[in-house]
Amino acid sequence: MLIQQLFSKPNSNTSTAITAKGLEMVFHSGSTSFQALADINLIIPKGDMQLLMGPSGSGKTTLLSILAGLMTPTAGTVQLLGDDITKMSRTQLTRFRRDNIGFVFQSFNLFPALTAAENVEVNLNIKGIRGRRAVKETQMLLDAVGLGDKSDLLPKNLSGGQKQRVAIARALAGSPQLIMADEPTAALDSHSGQAIVEILHQLAKERGATVLIVTHDPRIVNIADSILYLEDGRLQPPTLASTG
Amino acid sequence: MVSIARKNLLEDIPRFLVAQAGIMFAATLVTIQTGILDGFTRSTVLLIEGSNADVWVASEKMENLEETEPLLMGQVEQASLIQGVKQAEALIIGSVRWRTLDGVLNPVRLVGFEPGGELFQPGKLLKGERAAVEQPYTVIMDETRLDELMVEKIGDTATVASLPVTIGGITQDSQSLVSPPFLFSSLENINTYINSGLKIELNCKMLEGAEDLRCTKVYEKSETEEKLATPPTKPLSLTDPITYILIGAEPGQDLETLKQRLEASLPGTRAYTRAEMAAKTATYWKDRTGVGIILGLGAAMGVIVGMVVVSQILYASVSDHIKEFGTLKAMGASDGMIYGVVIEQSLWMAVIGYLPAMLICLGVSSWAATKGIIIFITPVGALGVLGIVIAMCVASGILAIQKVTHVDPAIVFKA
Repeated sequence: MLIQQLFSKPNSNTSTAITAKGLEMVFHSGSTSFQALADINLIIPKGDMQLLMGPSGSGKTTLLSILAGLMTPTAGTVQLLGDDITKMSRTQLTRFRRDNIGFVFQSFNLFPALTAAENVEVNLNIKGIRGRRAVKETQMLLDAVGLGDKSDLLPKNLSGGQKQRVAIARALAGSPQLIMADEPTAALDSHSGQAIVEILHQLAKERGATVLIVTHDPRIVNIADSILYLEDGRLQPPTLASTG
Repeated sequence: MVSIARKNLLEDIPRFLVAQAGIMFAATLVTIQTGILDGFTRSTVLLIEGSNADVWVASEKMENLEETEPLLMGQVEQASLIQGVKQAEALIIGSVRWRTLDGVLNPVRLVGFEPGGELFQPGKLLKGERAAVEQPYTVIMDETRLDELMVEKIGDTATVASLPVTIGGITQDSQSLVSPPFLFSSLENINTYINSGLKIELNCKMLEGAEDLRCTKVYEKSETEEKLATPPTKPLSLTDPITYILIGAEPGQDLETLKQRLEASLPGTRAYTRAEMAAKTATYWKDRTGVGIILGLGAAMGVIVGMVVVSQILYASVSDHIKEFGTLKAMGASDGMIYGVVIEQSLWMAVIGYLPAMLICLGVSSWAATKGIIIFITPVGALGVLGIVIAMCVASGILAIQKVTHVDPAIVFKA
């Protein structure tokens, strides 16, 4: 199925969470170079749930990495919550991510040696929240994703959907204003995938967080506020929905 | 705070045990190899360090404890009259052959000392009395060489230089690893063994224009028939050769000044403090003989192999968790926090690998001691090995974590 659509729903919040201008990314390998992204300009309003779609190799993950401050673009600027992150040092970027961004990964990236609760608590620890407060917040987050009774289980004892719910709880720890998710439903069956996105959508809305999701999954299109479509490293102009 | 380090370690117990076995092997290797080198070196100076002499007077040609030119018995008397000398005693070292009752030959090193003296100790006596060597043809020997000479206990007999010998005492911590078995006895007994069947002439003369005494020993087969009967032992005369003069200094005496006085009064000699004498002998064996070089090479190889093994284990361990560390980095963990996790993990691995290694080394060391091989493990040496293991683990862990801190953190997005 191919979706080549960018649609937007009206959003009451007009201030922007993510702004990218003239983004370019070129990878060099020996004497050859590869342009992964070209002329990317985008604005994502605060509180939106935005999908970033496109075929494999179109540059989605590269764009997400740049927008998350994990990769420096070859050219262009990125503003997150009003701050130009392309001008930040590594240390400033690390602090910015710690204070403002939660991550959800395709392969969950849970620590296999830590329990569900400990996986969430680690992120709180990184943000300086420790002790009883961290334990209490962890339990609240696991309750919110419906895993309150599984806090002592290791990831190997959880299903794929449950693991991703733990990852969502971890991403929401410390109430970040931005959530970046890379193919959060790719490793899940359709039922679990739908449930995961609904939980992510609901909790993000409750907290007023902006969510950017890289996905191939057309079943979650209806939940999104808007969709960006990337092909050959370029954002495509909005078109009417087409499937096939 | 959640301890990622400890949890990571125990995540996969079999893998953890294999890694710890590797670190344990490395620590054992380093400890045993350096312990053998230290033990070998120490064994060569046991008699020097075990003595109560403040100064050892030797020929200026002396290379090590067992390689030197003779002095004269008369010089002991001379030395005792020098200002600052409280006591002077002779020590003789020589070589002859031991013959068991079955006729098996073995080289032995004879060490003659004054049984009533205070400056020389033939190791630590386990059985028998020091005074036993006042009996004719009676010796004390180290327990580790009893098997080699095919004797077991006090009262056992054999033949040395065609003369009878009886074991009168058994000692320990006296035997050099690289020397033939030491036989300790009185100056008289040792003098008799060394000169058995030989007529010795010692010609000494002052060199022209120098205060140097040159002595030449002339050995001739004795014309008299002493072989069939056991002759009485021979007291030393003033012209008999000896090997060292051991000096006990007056309390408060400056040893450097005393050494200068001794060298000035005894031409052709050189005086060493006990520590200098031990250092000269140890250096000779370590640096100028094949044994020392081979053991030194073994110890160096032990350290290098140990470092490589530990480094690979830690590098692999951290690399296995690289995505998790990358995830921490993406979530905003500081480099300090990530280094902290890796260093904590490295320390745990180092300590958990080191402790059983030390137990193994102590066991091997105890077993080897019964065979006369000293594997010298001191608290300082053991701490040194711990330091090496920790340094290797931490350095390897930090090297491995560079993948996260200096390489594309977007690795976390790769499925």
